[in-house]
Amino acid sequence: MMARYTLYLAVALWLAILAGLKYLIHPPMPASVLMIYMTLSTLGILLFVAADEARFQAFLAPLKSVFEGRAPLAAQVLVLAGIPLLLGWGAWLRTAPTWDAPFEPRVVHPEPPSSFSLHGRRIETANLKNPLRLPDPVQLEKYTQEGKTIYYQNCFFCHGDALAGDGHFANAFSPIPANFRDVGTISMLQESFVFWRVATGGPGLPKGATPWLSAMPVWQNLLTEEEIWKAILYIYAGSGSTPRTWDEEAGHEKH
Amino acid sequence: MRSTDLLALALAALFAAPLSADAPQVPTEPVKPTPVAADPEAGRRLYDRYCTQCHGAEGKGDGPAAEFVYPRPRDFTLAIFKVRTTLSGQLPTDQDLFHIISEGLPGTSMPAWKKFLTENERWQLVHQVKAFDSLGLFNEEPAKERVVIGAAPEVTPALIAKGKELYQQKKCWQCHGQYGRGDGPSAQGMKDEWGFPIRPVNFTKGWRFRGGDRIEDIYRTFTTGFNGTPMPSFVDAIPAAEDRWALAAFVKSLSRPQKNAQVLKAGHITGEIPADPYAMEWEQAGFADFPLAGQIIKEPRWFKPAHDVITARALYNDKEIALLLEWDDGTQGADQVALQLPVQPAGNEKPYFILGDERRPVDIWRWNAQTGLTRATASGAARQTPRGAGNLSAQGGYRDGQYRVILRRPLKGGEGEVAFEPGGFVPIAFQLQDGDNGEEGLKMALSTWYYLLPQPPMPLSAWFWPLGIGFLALGGELWLARRMRTSARRAA
Repeated sequence: MMARYTLYLAVALWLAILAGLKYLIHPPMPASVLMIYMTLSTLGILLFVAADEARFQAFLAPLKSVFEGRAPLAAQVLVLAGIPLLLGWGAWLRTAPTWDAPFEPRVVHPEPPSSFSLHGRRIETANLKNPLRLPDPVQLEKYTQEGKTIYYQNCFFCHGDALAGDGHFANAFSPIPANFRDVGTISMLQESFVFWRVATGGPGLPKGATPWLSAMPVWQNLLTEEEIWKAILYIYAGSGSTPRTWDEEAGHEKH
Repeated sequence: MRSTDLLALALAALFAAPLSADAPQVPTEPVKPTPVAADPEAGRRLYDRYCTQCHGAEGKGDGPAAEFVYPRPRDFTLAIFKVRTTLSGQLPTDQDLFHIISEGLPGTSMPAWKKFLTENERWQLVHQVKAFDSLGLFNEEPAKERVVIGAAPEVTPALIAKGKELYQQKKCWQCHGQYGRGDGPSAQGMKDEWGFPIRPVNFTKGWRFRGGDRIEDIYRTFTTGFNGTPMPSFVDAIPAAEDRWALAAFVKSLSRPQKNAQVLKAGHITGEIPADPYAMEWEQAGFADFPLAGQIIKEPRWFKPAHDVITARALYNDKEIALLLEWDDGTQGADQVALQLPVQPAGNEKPYFILGDERRPVDIWRWNAQTGLTRATASGAARQTPRGAGNLSAQGGYRDGQYRVILRRPLKGGEGEVAFEPGGFVPIAFQLQDGDNGEEGLKMALSTWYYLLPQPPMPLSAWFWPLGIGFLALGGELWLARRMRTSARRAA
């Protein structure tokens, strides 16, 4: 009956769990978390097998027949040679040098400075608002459309036609350009933060955010203050996101 | 016989061949009906939101971004389309337009809109694109039949060999070059229907094939041609479908996928590093691709660089290290390549990626096809100081549509240059300029920082744990097996 397959079922189940955790879950989990899940799965399977004496004996039977020399010679060689090879290979994967690029920790959304320089003036970050985000929809639309032109003559090569960070220059850079459609980028940031990032670019990042890795230009060298605000209007409108605001924050705090 | 007579004879034979051969084998089927009816208002709204930046408000391919991209966005008013399933000169089917909008065009800035727009929205855009047809062609002579592509035959070495023969016979190399690098004698100065410059595709870069790089896609292109470009349909020249499949298989065999890496690993060799860039050792060294972008930060900003990737290999021995840099170029021109390194290593901190900054200068090794090797120290684009080449040497050249340049330096660092040592990561960045594209100074394609690593031979200590654990397990098993066999025998 099924009893004679107990060992094989247990191994198949273990492999299925491993494959499921590794390939079916997105984004992939860190190796350390996978290790914890697999340890728990191993213990679980062993506990289940050992809970019943008959089941446990059925589980051990194929192994016993190998170790006692009753199994076919090929199976004996396969198991006796296979287990050390598997363990040795596992050890190799964990200890052999891989020569990957050095790990460089990077703060993705660093704390903005209290003030920064724009065209020779000091700008206070705290009270910075987009002066072009007007209540009049006609005016707002006009500025957004102007921002669109600015975006497609300056930004889209990297940040992409659909604002998804996948422009035709994008894969020349690491880290890759920001994807404005991703909820983890501009929609969780205030416009003042975005303005600071655009105006001061990669070189304006604090040290913890690895400014030397960013290819983001210092846009105040190429655009006027008003043009930057217009482009910001567009990246929100074009990607279908809205900036985080202080009012919302206050509202949340009141709850 | 004089040579002109021979030529005339050869030409006559070439043009006579299709006539004597069988009629073109191009099975077709009726075009399928369009599944979604036009909603002009919705189509216009979607077009204004997603397409005008490149294709222009009136579909003339003259939007605000048009000047900044190569190839230029399509002008819809003449209803000429490249990627189709219809015979040469015919209009595309609605499904063809839907396919392009959905999948985008590789090697251009046209994205795959299926990621962002619903099927219904994409069909509305199909109708909108057709509405720009100023000659009314879509109404007068819509495509009624589409080419049946069918299943690709099994790709065998024999099929590829046959395709190679056809590639010679049908003179594909005249534009695409003997090695398919887009470097044929006729490649230079080509224009499309609108008079804009166009380059024959480089068959080694499958990821840039406009119509896709599956063998079925390549077969379709041979069969239908690219309307509006110098790429004709080959159904008359190669009437047998089987032969067109062979050619497609050959072209596919020329291309390889891009292989990007963060680290360029230099392999260790015991002898001399070969000076010949075609030497076996370089083949064995393995390669990595480094994608490049236009330099659009410092004036003059350069939006349309000719090159989009550089391929690099590296080797080192006990004395020196050498890099082999390769890039394809359809037109030889006077190209220049540069390798940029920090003057001093500073932990993980690196200089500004465009020619360094005041605090952290860079060492730049430049090789130019006309002027050879030069070297400079730069602490910013405007602050470059030429320096002597020192122990640095370079040799390079152009062959078969490709530049290959070897840059070589002793491992030991001298004054104002980094030292290379096995296991030590050194930041590197690449800059590439195409003489025929007017690239000089800051007009260039460039990369950000990567690493060069002289990879140490695998240390003996690396074997300790794998072998130790393996043998320990084997010993344990044998001990257990022996014990269990003894007790089993006793029980019996």
